Amino acid sequence: MNKRARRRIQNGALFVLLATLAVVANQILNVLHYRTPFFSGWFLFGLIVVLALYNVRKKLALIPVGTSAGWLQFHLYAGIMTSVVFALHVGLRIPDGVFERTLAVFYVATFTSGVAGLFLSRTFPARITSRGEEILFERIPVFLKQLRDDVEKVVFTCVEQTETTAIPELYLSHLKPFFEKPRNVFWHLVHSGRPRQRLLLEIRGQQRFLSESERKAVDQVTDRVRTKDDLDYQYALQGTLKVWLFIHIPLTYGLLVMSIFHGLAVYAYGGSY
Amino acid sequence: MAVSPSIPRPRRWDIPFCRESDSEREMTDEDVDRLMGQAPFSQIDPAGFKKTLPLRDILKNDARLVPFQEGDIVVRRGDWGNTAFFIISGSVRVEIEPPESAMPATMLGRTERPRQTMFQAIAQLWRNHHEPEFRSQAAQMDDRIGTRSAGESTRIFLQDVPAVLDQFRTATIDQGQWFGELAALGRTPRTATVFADGPCELLEIRWQGLRDIMRHDRDGDLRAYIEGVFRERALATFLRDEPLFQDLTAEQMRRLVQEVEFETYGNYDSPQPFRELAKLGAELNLSNEPFVARQSEYPNGIILIRSGLARLSEKHFNGHRTVGYLMPGQSYGFPEISQGWNCSSAVPLRYSLTAIGYLNVVIVPTIVVEQLLLETRAVRAPAAPAEAGLGHSQRSSSVAATTKKEVRIADHLLDFMVDHRFVQGTATMVIDLDRCTRCDDCVRACAATHDNNPRFIRHGPVHGQHMVANACLHCADPVCMIECPTGAIHRDQRDGLIVISEQTCIGCAQCANNCPYDAIRMVEIRDAKGQFIVDDKTSRPLMQATKCDLCQNLPGGPACQRACPHDALQRVDLTFFETVGDALQS
Ligand code: HEM
Repeated sequence: MNKRARRRIQNGALFVLLATLAVVANQILNVLHYRTPFFSGWFLFGLIVVLALYNVRKKLALIPVGTSAGWLQFHLYAGIMTSVVFALHVGLRIPDGVFERTLAVFYVATFTSGVAGLFLSRTFPARITSRGEEILFERIPVFLKQLRDDVEKVVFTCVEQTETTAIPELYLSHLKPFFEKPRNVFWHLVHSGRPRQRLLLEIRGQQRFLSESERKAVDQVTDRVRTKDDLDYQYALQGTLKVWLFIHIPLTYGLLVMSIFHGLAVYAYGGSY
Repeated sequence: MAVSPSIPRPRRWDIPFCRESDSEREMTDEDVDRLMGQAPFSQIDPAGFKKTLPLRDILKNDARLVPFQEGDIVVRRGDWGNTAFFIISGSVRVEIEPPESAMPATMLGRTERPRQTMFQAIAQLWRNHHEPEFRSQAAQMDDRIGTRSAGESTRIFLQDVPAVLDQFRTATIDQGQWFGELAALGRTPRTATVFADGPCELLEIRWQGLRDIMRHDRDGDLRAYIEGVFRERALATFLRDEPLFQDLTAEQMRRLVQEVEFETYGNYDSPQPFRELAKLGAELNLSNEPFVARQSEYPNGIILIRSGLARLSEKHFNGHRTVGYLMPGQSYGFPEISQGWNCSSAVPLRYSLTAIGYLNVVIVPTIVVEQLLLETRAVRAPAAPAEAGLGHSQRSSSVAATTKKEVRIADHLLDFMVDHRFVQGTATMVIDLDRCTRCDDCVRACAATHDNNPRFIRHGPVHGQHMVANACLHCADPVCMIECPTGAIHRDQRDGLIVISEQTCIGCAQCANNCPYDAIRMVEIRDAKGQFIVDDKTSRPLMQATKCDLCQNLPGGPACQRACPHDALQRVDLTFFETVGDALQS
């Protein structure tokens, strides 16, 4: 068994144990007529604070406060644990009141974005690796421009050297928009090659109308179309991996602030346990 | 189709040694005449030299005259130089062992950065300068040394030679003697620091020149002298460290030292071919690697690797398949010899051994092995010849014995690592792209710990899911250290890492040009106000070389690795074949 599989089993077992303990403890307190939401609320808040602290850890590269990978492992299991504690806290009901409902929505959104992010983090990297050249996200616009310039050069050369306008027309109608900026983000995310296939069919369809030299030029263009499509793929997947954190983090801060107000309100208006 | 740019094929003496950037003066015909008229060169028979490679031309192109002033440091302990020195006039001082009497690193212009405490690490959070590459003017050199310019280059000198002589044990090397030849010929670090104890003139000669003189010196005086010194000092020390010979008596050891052969393969004229090899690796593969031993032939002796890197391979259909590699301290051929001895019939080698780039080996002839190791004592050898196809060393065999479950690295990945020479790396940055979310947390962590400027690029050659990023590998054979004029780039004595001293780096870019992996970057440095520090003469910004120091002074280890949320980035010691599979296991 490899190291990661072993880690998953160990952490998973610990998680199940702690989650069961939390449920059992909640039941016991309930039977003893304590107001369990006080306990589960504090526990949930504590967990959320620790989860949010991961953001702080990332900024502390200098200080040996555990590895980021260690933190993330804790984050994942503690993150899932919040769902158990949250369920206990709200008693598996949709809360009353606008504020409480909004808070619940924030929690669910943060949690869901976390799970979605985990899914992306575990599935996208291998997809990125297996398609096209490995490329730094920040360099994509530079390569895009290079490709565009390349294709335009081929097209302009055709304009100068051949009598027909077949290639320039093809370029203006189909290729120019394609080479202008990253395209087909959605299709790439769902792993569909449909737009690429459509564009290549369009180009191939024109071949029968072309002269020998024009065909050569079109072959060059076709190569660039493939490269650009790979680049779009990288853009879509790498971009999504970057963007999801911009959802997860603001939601976290929203959730934290609202939880604090929620707690204050409970203490101000509620009783004690 | 793009036409490849063409230039005349570079030749050996396109740039004579005396025209290299750090030379002080030209080597004139009069200088060569003067040298040819005095010993040892006057005693060498010029007729022994090829017409295309006369002694005069060797001296003119591969040697240069260097004047030194009192206190000037000529070579430093731990430096990697590929030149030897001959004293024309004056004398120099050499530190003598034991190491405890050695001059401290700071006196050689190196930095000793202590590991930070937790509090210091926290304090650095707000002490970090907001501009990149800020250099504190307060970071002064040891006040026992100074710098002075010599021609285009800069030299470090000891301020008070008498005080140094009082404090440290040294010996004098006089006019007419050689030094530095062992490190130059074997590509090993200099073992002692040498400084001028008064004005003196030295002849510095490139190792290729020295090698050619030794080769064509008919009477062999110079060769005999250098070989004698080499055997006595370098070989004896090297063989004593080899576990196989640990139990030999003094007499047997003497015989061993006399009878071993040493051989240099490949080329280390400059690190440039190494860089090209590293780039072309995959295409060239085995075709231009000289054979040290061939598969199916009987072993001539035990081959001990002294420096460089060697590939073990076996025939596979029409080609060769890499099955491992050997590093300094490892050996090949002993199991076969010992097996042959036990069953009284010679056992052929299972694999071929070739030199990757440059390789320096010591060969203990089979007869000597039999008489010294097998006849007299029962030396335990591995049961099967070269089990698992690997060389033999104390460390490798013990690893093989204890971790039977090791993961074997895939053939193609091994080829990739060897062809690109990444197996040189003791801390190679390998990123598992199937786990890397390209979040750049590693880059940010590196910047946060290094003057706001990351010391690596998260990019590099990719093989399948593995990427070797553009970060210093902390090579076993650090060609970047060759010819650093001030010794600023050095191997830290404490942990063996290759580091650059900010106090003595003069920004000449020699190391950056030498590094085959482009892992050293020249940066413009700034003062506390964030302004570029400029050269007072040319008003151009001052540059310094920067590279990964593996967060040597930080508690907790390399920030890049600690910052990776997905365990995708690892700093891997690839120099030991047996552990590579485990390290790269996905
Ligand atoms: C519900 C409460 C949660 C909170 C408050 C929370 C908060 C955070 C914060 C603050 C970060 C740091 C982001 C950064 O600075 O880069 C983060 C990262 C992350 N969280 Fe959560 N999180 C929660 C739940 C979850 C859950 C349930 C999962 C998945 C099971 C999850 C998965 C992740 C992942 C994969 C990362 C990113 C690691 C990386 O690639 O850098 N989170 N979260």
